[in-house]
Amino acid sequence: MTTSLRAVPASARRRRRGWRKALVGWAFALPFVLLFGVFMAGPILVSFITSFTDMRITHIRRPFEVGFVGLDNYFEVFRDPTFRKAARNTAIYVLFAVPLTIGLGLLVALALNQGVVRLRNLFRLGFFLPYVTSIVAISVVWRLILGTDSGLLNGLLEVAGIDGPGWLTDQQYSLWSIILMTTWRGLGLQMIIFLAGLQAIPNELYEAASVDGASPWHKFRYVTIPQLRPTILFSTVIASIGLMQFFEEPFVMTQGGPLDSTLSVAFHAYNQFSFGNYGYTGAISYVLFIVIAALTLLQFRLLRPAS
Amino acid sequence: MRRTLRAAAALGIATAIALGPTGTSTRAAAPSGDITVWAMGTEGENLGVLADQFMEEFPDVSVEVTALPWDAAHDRIVTAIAGGDVPDVSMIGTTWMGEFATLGGLEPTPESIDPAQFFEGAWNTTVVDGVSYGVPWYVETRLIYYRTDLAEEGGFNQAPANWDELTQLAEALVEGGAEYGISLQPGGTGAWQTLMPFFWQAGGEIVDADNNFTLDSEACVEALTFYDSFFEAGLSQPTVSDVPVEGQFADGTVGAFISGPWMIGIVTDAGADPETWTVANQPTEEAGTSFVGGSNLAVLEQADNKEAAWAFIEFLSRPEVQVTWYETVSDLPAVQASWEEDTLANEALLSAFGEQLQDAKAPPAIPTWEQVAAAIDGQIEQVTVGDSSPEDGCAAMQEEADSIGTGL
Repeated sequence: MTTSLRAVPASARRRRRGWRKALVGWAFALPFVLLFGVFMAGPILVSFITSFTDMRITHIRRPFEVGFVGLDNYFEVFRDPTFRKAARNTAIYVLFAVPLTIGLGLLVALALNQGVVRLRNLFRLGFFLPYVTSIVAISVVWRLILGTDSGLLNGLLEVAGIDGPGWLTDQQYSLWSIILMTTWRGLGLQMIIFLAGLQAIPNELYEAASVDGASPWHKFRYVTIPQLRPTILFSTVIASIGLMQFFEEPFVMTQGGPLDSTLSVAFHAYNQFSFGNYGYTGAISYVLFIVIAALTLLQFRLLRPAS
Repeated sequence: MRRTLRAAAALGIATAIALGPTGTSTRAAAPSGDITVWAMGTEGENLGVLADQFMEEFPDVSVEVTALPWDAAHDRIVTAIAGGDVPDVSMIGTTWMGEFATLGGLEPTPESIDPAQFFEGAWNTTVVDGVSYGVPWYVETRLIYYRTDLAEEGGFNQAPANWDELTQLAEALVEGGAEYGISLQPGGTGAWQTLMPFFWQAGGEIVDADNNFTLDSEACVEALTFYDSFFEAGLSQPTVSDVPVEGQFADGTVGAFISGPWMIGIVTDAGADPETWTVANQPTEEAGTSFVGGSNLAVLEQADNKEAAWAFIEFLSRPEVQVTWYETVSDLPAVQASWEEDTLANEALLSAFGEQLQDAKAPPAIPTWEQVAAAIDGQIEQVTVGDSSPEDGCAAMQEEADSIGTGL
């Protein structure tokens, strides 16, 4: 530093001005950096370290008794039959709920973009409202609808002479009921995103396609879909990240039951945390995080616009 | 074990330091200063009534009551202990005692408090690894509620004395028009509270004298087989209904269920004619044991004013104050002498609960109990709804409990 200062004064002055600029920049960023460091990065780092220890609730007054156990917690995660069940439920949930939400969201967006002219805003509002309503409130209402003995749905089925199943109390139906509810709730957001995407497609492309004699299907397949590709990527990533961590729906509606059929990975982590197994909870959370990151990367690879 | 000893030693030293200056010199003087008290739910909302009475008697003490919601209470107390910013007295759920005591958060009960005045089962919930940390405040135990009119219709006219008779009662209730003879929880949170009495009745114990789990036992298999038999025979609904049990009980869908004293009021409010139902004590096999729950009162280890804190707890444990408390929020007294007062002795249904409390047990006060209980709940469901056999269920309970450990 000092040597360069003596050797090339001009560049040093420039560098000093650069320092000053950087300092001012940091000063402006400081409130965020501090808050982020204290409330986000710090805890994230601590939870990462915790995941390699045997820390339990009983250690909170004796933090020095916490011992490092290496990767034991991570091995334990994969040995844990409840985790495996939760992972399977989460995989099924994401595998079905993500395409369903996106597919139906796109369908509704197309309908609103082209077909429905009257009451368009009303429909848009109607589809979007569930998304901005609290999941807990929605789950409570759906629990009333899907109740086995006094639920609205089974009440209607009874009128038609059908003995409705236990939508939330029979392990064959419980996860599917939650998938359907999630789809219904999530498609509003997808619809809004797709509407924006659709409106960004230049009309000339469709006109050119018409001149070439393309059918409506061909226009959809070869104009709309390729043009929507970045939007679809965005939707898929956002939906997958959100749904991989589903928690509130089973928490309110089924408590993870029956027979753990609606237990998600996030719910399992929540349970382990409330049992006071902090180290183990950390390991579960980081496994979930790594899977989400890997899945997102994969989606970026597969859906990247071919430019 | 070594850790426990070390913890106990550390706690002992901490206590000695804490009690050093105040413990000896001001013991004789009347308590003074401020104390804060945390309590949950209805208790938290109404404790002010008793706090006022206490302050009338001890004008030098000022009691501040903070009401906590049950959902948040556990985490609030953990955070308080971790941060060292604790109330002087807190209400503690009986199944949390092991956890908080092992955390080093609770102060051992002074010898001036006589354990014999409380129900034995309730007192045992305060004892963690041989040391008592607090006193039982109020108790609850589980009895069999059943519809006498339907039972008579089905040809069963007495309270069920043993397991066979409980099955007969359930059959008679179905005969008498109920869709399900008895409502038992097929699994899910808290199912263990209904199963464990049967386990104890068959002579089982959750842990032995050295705190090793003894769940994989003959008693467990017997209890689970008996429990499952109600589901096998269609006498119990294999799912938790979305219609509350009191409604099903009042309209005769369900003929019987097992629950605590709070259901007396709830069943009455649900519209059940008092002439048509009653409560019966648990059936007796090797024992007639029920589950005892409720809440305890404890002084926090880091509390500022332990002197006044214990004085407040001793005040709340007086038989007449316990009766006042029963009149205020309907909590059943943990102090045995209170049950001789007219208010309680004259209530027929309540005296059945008082009688059952003489033979009622709580799960061991170990820090990992909630997790072990969740494992038991899961295995109960595997047997009643899934296709595990009771033998497999008990073996799995033992295996899961062993891998969780007692945490002591």
